[in-house]
Amino acid sequence: MKLIHIKLSILVAAFISLTSCSSDDDNNSDALTGENNVSLEFDNSMNGDDLILGASTYTNSNDETLTINRLNYIVSNFVLIDEEGNEFIYPKDESYFVISEENALNEVVLTNIPAGKYVQMRFGVGVDQEKYQQGAEGQGDFLQIAEENNMMWAWQAGYKFLNFEGTFTAPSIASSTDFKIHMGSHGSTLDNYKEVTVNLPSTAMVSDEMTPLIHLEVDANQILDGEHKIYLSEAPVVMVDEVKSPQIAENTSTMFEVHHVHNGEGGHH
Amino acid sequence: MKDLQNIKFSFFILFLGFTLSLWSKPLGKVEDTLPTTSQRQVYFFEDCDVCGCSGNGGSMGYGGNLTNNFIGVRYLKQSYKSRDGIFNNSPWVDENFNTLQLWSKIPVTEKVSVHAIVPYHFHDREFGDNSTQKINGIGDISVLAFYKLIQTNKDSLMLNPDKLAHTLRVGGGVKAPTGNYEKDNNAGSVNPSFQVGTGSWDYTVGLDYNLGYRTYGANVLLNYTFKTENDLNYHFGNQTNYGLSFFGSFNSQNAVSISPSLGIAGEIFEENEQYGEAVVNTKGDVLFSQLGIHTTYKKWSVGANVMLPIHQNLNSGLVEVNYRTAVYVNFSI
Repeated sequence: MKLIHIKLSILVAAFISLTSCSSDDDNNSDALTGENNVSLEFDNSMNGDDLILGASTYTNSNDETLTINRLNYIVSNFVLIDEEGNEFIYPKDESYFVISEENALNEVVLTNIPAGKYVQMRFGVGVDQEKYQQGAEGQGDFLQIAEENNMMWAWQAGYKFLNFEGTFTAPSIASSTDFKIHMGSHGSTLDNYKEVTVNLPSTAMVSDEMTPLIHLEVDANQILDGEHKIYLSEAPVVMVDEVKSPQIAENTSTMFEVHHVHNGEGGHH
Repeated sequence: MKDLQNIKFSFFILFLGFTLSLWSKPLGKVEDTLPTTSQRQVYFFEDCDVCGCSGNGGSMGYGGNLTNNFIGVRYLKQSYKSRDGIFNNSPWVDENFNTLQLWSKIPVTEKVSVHAIVPYHFHDREFGDNSTQKINGIGDISVLAFYKLIQTNKDSLMLNPDKLAHTLRVGGGVKAPTGNYEKDNNAGSVNPSFQVGTGSWDYTVGLDYNLGYRTYGANVLLNYTFKTENDLNYHFGNQTNYGLSFFGSFNSQNAVSISPSLGIAGEIFEENEQYGEAVVNTKGDVLFSQLGIHTTYKKWSVGANVMLPIHQNLNSGLVEVNYRTAVYVNFSI
């Protein structure tokens, strides 16, 4: 009987030594050096469902059922914030991008990001007044990109920050009706540019060897069905609207959330 | 440096086995547990990594009740589906994990046995757009040593066949990263376990308890696997396996014995880590029903098992197991 006890204790000791030693704390990611790309994937959705243009229908809490034919928006002025609160501001002239579901523009690649462990990201939805004030010449290539993706009114009117189009039905409107939500700053009279800050659920690690991908879940349902309830049955076309446009801008700024971060060597989604 | 440590531990485990085996000798003649045990079911426990099962050699059969020592070949088929995307309506990917393994239980002494498993995997998965991906290769080789800590004496059992007989075996082992781990297969939201190896040294401790009454019996299994970080800084979560099964043994006239079994088996997966940080949607648990049949004729035995999920919550619902099944042929040595 005694022998069994001795054996048991030996076994227990063996287990403990195993458990204590197999824990590996030699994390080699402590000293990150160099610079690399950070990719951002904007994965568009409607209330948890993948957004599929033209095909699916989505019913929101306003009891309106939408088919979406276009979802384009401008994201800009990226800032990456590390675990110590240091901010890396991406060069402003290169910090304007169009996300377009129809043109498969879903990824933004920020280049030459200094090594670090990033925990937060801040960016703009739309184009800020400072940039717009630089005039047409000051926009660089972005002006053309915006035009190609239907993100411009005439220059005087400015950029469309959001171009959201499709058809809908509502309790009072049984037949499928077109809707168009074009939101922007309307020159310099009405500023609808919004800043968004998102937390990363895990650290995005950048070094010469490591190029993370930040996968954002973008919930386009927020555009009409966010903090402000926008009824298409009241106005199926919203372009220059002093009441609804700012509300849509606020709603749009809440549609971004980071779903997960991939760390590693890149080429991953 | 880490490898060296790992090798040291592997030797330690083996050393432990041998040391115990030397001790056991002075205890004298102790026969096998039950007269019927050689005809009993081979219980196997699916020890799969991270719900996807591809990494860890598919399974690690203890062969708990099989007192005979054997060498055999087993084919395992595991059917899964996992979400390709992060949304409710993201398409499902069908995944088939196929494993052919050489498995054996080799006696070292009367009380100590060593189990070895050498798997070969050939996995495939089909995406929503009908494209397929295939991987194959040698998997991670496992070696486990078990020590029979408690067993009833055969002699007393023969005097009193109505007495309950029981056996408790404890042990541990190591899984070496002989299978290839492809980082690319672990990207995105598809099942991170579509691999033929975890790339890591893993250590298992476990126990195996059998209770027998005449030609009926019950088996309880419990084991825990400590997994380590692989060279690509991915760390599959530690894993708990448990199981309970009941079996009977029936002899037919022509020296064939048939043992059906019925039970449950469960697995709990802790969160995976990458670069020391938790990876979202990687923990989970699953409970299976398991049904098996084992037939023996002279030195040969043939068996089959099927495991069907009763309840599951794997990778936050992004991975679902459909079924697992296995067939095997063993030869007693």
